[in-house]
Amino acid sequence: MNGFLRRIIFYALLIAIWEMVFRLHIWEEFLFPAPLSVLQTLVNGFMDRTFLIGIAISMRRITIGYGISVIAGILLGLLIGRVKLLDETVGSLVLGLQTLPSITWLPLALLWFGLNEKAIIFVVIMGAVFSITIGTYSGVKGVPPLYLKAGRNRGAQGYQLFLQVIIPAALPSIVVGLKQGWSWAWRSLMAGELLFVSLGLGFLLMMGRELNDMSQVIAVMIIIIIIGLVVDKLIFAKLERNLYERWGLDLA
Amino acid sequence: MYLKRELPKLQLKNVSKTFHTKGVELKVLEDIDLGVEEGEFLCLVGPSGCGKSTLLNIIAGLEEPDSGEIFSNGHKVTGPGTDRVLIFQELALFPWLTVIKNVEFGLKMLKIDRKTREGLALEYLKMVHLSKFKDAYVYQLSGGMKQRVALARALAMDPEILLMDEPFVALDAQTGDLLRDELQHIWKETRKTIIFVTHNVREAVCLGDRVLVFSARPGRIKKELRVEYPRPRHIEDPWLTLQRHLPEYIQYVLVQLKKLPYILNQDS
Repeated sequence: MNGFLRRIIFYALLIAIWEMVFRLHIWEEFLFPAPLSVLQTLVNGFMDRTFLIGIAISMRRITIGYGISVIAGILLGLLIGRVKLLDETVGSLVLGLQTLPSITWLPLALLWFGLNEKAIIFVVIMGAVFSITIGTYSGVKGVPPLYLKAGRNRGAQGYQLFLQVIIPAALPSIVVGLKQGWSWAWRSLMAGELLFVSLGLGFLLMMGRELNDMSQVIAVMIIIIIIGLVVDKLIFAKLERNLYERWGLDLA
Repeated sequence: MYLKRELPKLQLKNVSKTFHTKGVELKVLEDIDLGVEEGEFLCLVGPSGCGKSTLLNIIAGLEEPDSGEIFSNGHKVTGPGTDRVLIFQELALFPWLTVIKNVEFGLKMLKIDRKTREGLALEYLKMVHLSKFKDAYVYQLSGGMKQRVALARALAMDPEILLMDEPFVALDAQTGDLLRDELQHIWKETRKTIIFVTHNVREAVCLGDRVLVFSARPGRIKKELRVEYPRPRHIEDPWLTLQRHLPEYIQYVLVQLKKLPYILNQDS
């Protein structure tokens, strides 16, 4: 609770400084809006449902894109983690592709799919899938051989060994990959939405720019931060804590 | 002549194993010939690096010998089988499962239904006095408790042969004593065939019907001793503690054991 209180005070102070700088009138109001007008924009945006629709559209895209990434990434990670030939070939390609910022896939996606949902979901997938693949891959590689032996000794073979030993043993690392994948997916989505007219939160951000409405820009940025944080803290932090508690690992 | 006798539960014929690491050849086992009778408690004792653990792995079917054959119940061993279950030195309990789910693991692999599985697991947890901790996770247990879980997990599969690799080495003396007592009790109750590996001579003599002494690299069976002292035996029993100055080195131990012919009848 103490930490929570400190955080509240910190943010209150931050907003107070913001308000003070605003009152000094160094910049024009349309370039540097007051905290209150940003709040007003937020309220209005939610009241007339502009922001709600923006959030809904972005969330739909990321759900589809991230969902596909999770399935594809885990499958690919398991495969290259267990099949040596794939490790030596596809494995190196994955490493290379992971270093490629996903937004660089946009031109290609636009040519392949046109200016539509598919293109942006493709960019999201390219952003997230390789982090998940690598997390899964290193998890599988790191499964102590002893667990494999113990599993085999107790009758586990083939897919049972996969489902009952390899995947659970690799789970902590897979979760790290999922978390990283999520943050890449979110960034890729915003970048994609900024770059072509598409509705969604990124689009609202660009609209703010075009209307010279800085308070909308800031309001949308706040929404983007909050969604990112909520998913990270509520979903992934919980998942990790649960897992670490169960395994008796320290919360690092 | 040999065929007329009942076949031993487990038979090893000329088993040899060499490891190749970084161009260095390491012969760990050489010409191991061994028969284990049904219900026998056999202890393998030897210095570290004499290949005893490797031998257990080979019997379990987790490693292949370079030459030689293994027969379990007269059938040639070609891989892991639930007739031979190994309790690893490091136990290898699964941290992602609760105690009871760990015990159920092998039964699940055999596709035994949930209810039967749970019933059996509870029965074996009771046998090792861990019923209360069935829903705990592995990290919440003490060393001795983990050892009991490993034992229950192995017993639950109802193996014919139980292979144990230095199971009590990481425990404090009291816990070790307690578990040795319990193991003898469980062995008596379940009539399992047990092959127990240790580097502690006193432990081997305390537990085994028969003790095989291994030489260091390459591992060879140097001596075979029958221990015909009534059970239950305890590691602090006078007949064992008489050898208070039991030295650690196997060669020296053998000399000592020869001095106690009224306890140990040497076979070879």
